[in-house]
Amino acid sequence: MLILSRKSGESIVIDGRIHVKIVRVEGDVVKIGIEAPSDVPVHRREVYEEIQRSNQAALTRQNAALPKLPLPQTERPKRKIAKGS
Amino acid sequence: MNSANVIEIEELETTEPIACCDVRMPAGLLGFEHIKDFLLIAKPAEAPFRWLQVKNNPSLAFVVIEPLFFVPDYRPDIPDADVDFLGLTSPDDAAVYNIVTVHGPRRATVNLKGPVVINRNTGVAKQVVIANAVEYSVQHPLPVNEAA
Repeated sequence: MLILSRKSGESIVIDGRIHVKIVRVEGDVVKIGIEAPSDVPVHRREVYEEIQRSNQAALTRQNAALPKLPLPQTERPKRKIAKGS
Repeated sequence: MNSANVIEIEELETTEPIACCDVRMPAGLLGFEHIKDFLLIAKPAEAPFRWLQVKNNPSLAFVVIEPLFFVPDYRPDIPDADVDFLGLTSPDDAAVYNIVTVHGPRRATVNLKGPVVINRNTGVAKQVVIANAVEYSVQHPLPVNEAA
């Protein structure tokens, strides 16, 4: 792992297109500003990994049996559908 | 809640037996970033569930659901960067689906932190980590019929 020392307000550049700036350091909390192209997803790692695990657990087969859900007894909201207009 | 979602369910139950459309996910799903092309498949008998199936590979699929009936107070906050990425210009452009984990015939949970947001007009979609993810669970239980 590459380890760099940076001061508040300093940045690093990754691949010429991703800028990571140390915005502020408060005690043990570091505020980081990230500028990246929209095709580069940026996530907090723990949330990313939680959703990743959930996706892996959810992967199934198209013909897998599904549980029955109790559909609400209330009438579904109605609205006219104006197709093609 | 987005009323456009409700309309789609009504259409499904009354018209085509199987509705299917292409969904393009340029960033894939988290943990499955290499898979970009999916089909969104709806079978009336399985409503309100739908399938997000890997295109050309029916053995890889995810069960999805629109959360409106089961989590009526669900308010996913979609970050501006994702709104731009998806090219959404109004809330009606977006169809929101949440991935379901089927744990067995009596237990299913739904991931509310990372909904799949689809631009209805373009078919472009993304699994979005919502800005208010901390308020929601990745394993929110769905009410399953005890008699099932």
